[in-house]
Amino acid sequence: MKKFRTAFLSLFLLLILAPWGYAGQVDLKILYVNDFHGFAEPYKAAAQEPPLGGIAYLAGAVDRARVKPPCLLLAAGDMIQGNSWANLVRGKSTIEVMNAMKFDAMVVGNHEFDFGPKVLKERMAQARFPMLGANVKGFPALKPYIIKNLQGVRIAIIGVVTPETSVTTHPRNVAGLTFSTPESAVKKCLAELKGRADIIIVLSHCGFQADRELAAKVPGVDVIVGGHSHTKILQPELVGRTIIVQAWEHAKALGVLNLQIKDGKVAGFDGALQEISPATGAANCQVQEIVARYQRQAGSRLQRVIGETQVDLDGKNVRTGETNLGDFIADVMRQTAGAEVALINGGTIRTSIPQGKITVKDIYAVLPFDNYLVAISLTGAQLKAALEHGVSRLEEPSGSFPQVSGLAFIFSRSAPAGARVKEVTVGGRPLDLQKEYVVATNDYLVAGGDGYTAFGEALKSAGDYANLGGTLTSSKLAYNDPGAWLRDLVINAIQARKTIAPQVDGRIKAVD
Amino acid sequence: MRVYVDDKPVDLVPGMSVKHALIRAGRMAAIAAGLKVYDAWGHELGLDGALADGMKIFVK
Repeated sequence: MKKFRTAFLSLFLLLILAPWGYAGQVDLKILYVNDFHGFAEPYKAAAQEPPLGGIAYLAGAVDRARVKPPCLLLAAGDMIQGNSWANLVRGKSTIEVMNAMKFDAMVVGNHEFDFGPKVLKERMAQARFPMLGANVKGFPALKPYIIKNLQGVRIAIIGVVTPETSVTTHPRNVAGLTFSTPESAVKKCLAELKGRADIIIVLSHCGFQADRELAAKVPGVDVIVGGHSHTKILQPELVGRTIIVQAWEHAKALGVLNLQIKDGKVAGFDGALQEISPATGAANCQVQEIVARYQRQAGSRLQRVIGETQVDLDGKNVRTGETNLGDFIADVMRQTAGAEVALINGGTIRTSIPQGKITVKDIYAVLPFDNYLVAISLTGAQLKAALEHGVSRLEEPSGSFPQVSGLAFIFSRSAPAGARVKEVTVGGRPLDLQKEYVVATNDYLVAGGDGYTAFGEALKSAGDYANLGGTLTSSKLAYNDPGAWLRDLVINAIQARKTIAPQVDGRIKAVD
Repeated sequence: MRVYVDDKPVDLVPGMSVKHALIRAGRMAAIAAGLKVYDAWGHELGLDGALADGMKIFVK
């Protein structure tokens, strides 16, 4: 009888309150983050700035915001890859945190594919929230959208990811997948959702510029919660009738969007970014414990032995001449990219490894920067110009000094800068200035780091960028994998070989 | 992909970020000195933020 009375009372309250809330006004709160990239701990972006971020502090801010429901907590992609706190466990730590924070939905970002489809499926199975991807074909586990009902308001959440995902991760990570345009995917979802949803939210990992274009082209979207461009939108933007928000990066801000819903429509809104730091409020203890636990695990993994070197690996003299460590890393890059040549700046390599066991931490110390592998087609003339640049500053050790693979060259110390490279062979044959060679390097040099201009010149001279369904391609680009750090490729190579003993083989020779 | 840093065109590989555009434009020293990067609508950008073809960014 007591149970019956309780059920009757609940039904009575539901009938009384729900229609009142809906017919009057329902206030919804959308909480959002994007581009966390595994930055679990607060950090200083610059020495003079205070530390920002910290996922446990962000979780604390979410707890406080949730005091007044109804709320949705959304993630706009690129959550599981980036910082070693996440990378060393292939994103598992991030999902555990997101489960503890009770996320309602997430769209996959391009970097969610970086560990390959098998790992992504494992992360999806681990997640206690849906992962969305309406414009991803060939990955049925990704839902195009979900519908949530909050106090009688039906909210559809559609997920879209940048079509450039197909060319910004290793091809094996997206084999068999196609990425349609966000515009076409959202239009299709809107047609399916007609009459089934009051409010439409697009969770977009496409970047702010693309979100603005989407809002302008596709009517009927109430809110776009964006990511990808790491944009710090302090106040919600309005394009047409679509509200666009994005919450910067690395858990340094929590986005809060308040929606006033009347008669199933957005009648008003306001919002802001809450900056997150240890100074902005208490941390969520459960999330703090998860962060600390995975920090300890990361520490253990860094101590893991991955192989052995029978010789000292010289990372000290990479700014003045050929070294065995420079040769080894350049060889790994050339082989991984399937390139004819590899060329990197000695400054990429930061320290040596003594003979004996090699740990993960050793390689992180040698290659501390988040650099990735790119291969570009250069003419022989451009390749020679790159080498000339590499040996142009010999007065003192220079980070631009090249370490190479697949080629050998002789340079004169006494000749003037720009005319020092005397002889170049590729694969044992003289360099052909007219011929194109696929040259593996890192993203830093492609961008012009350490003054290298040859890679940029090659891209510029090609002038053949093609925009295929939102995906940019160029005939000069032979390999591009922003999702795998160079140090991880080197770790994999050492693990595969178990024992290494690289020797300086005379591929770079200096004469007076 | 071509983007513009303080109206100067720079060519990059798809997938490259704000940081790469700044390196290409020789503007990383300004960031180290405390300046920030903004998009055409005045929003601050993270250095790892993705770029789009034709995008304009500004160091201020």
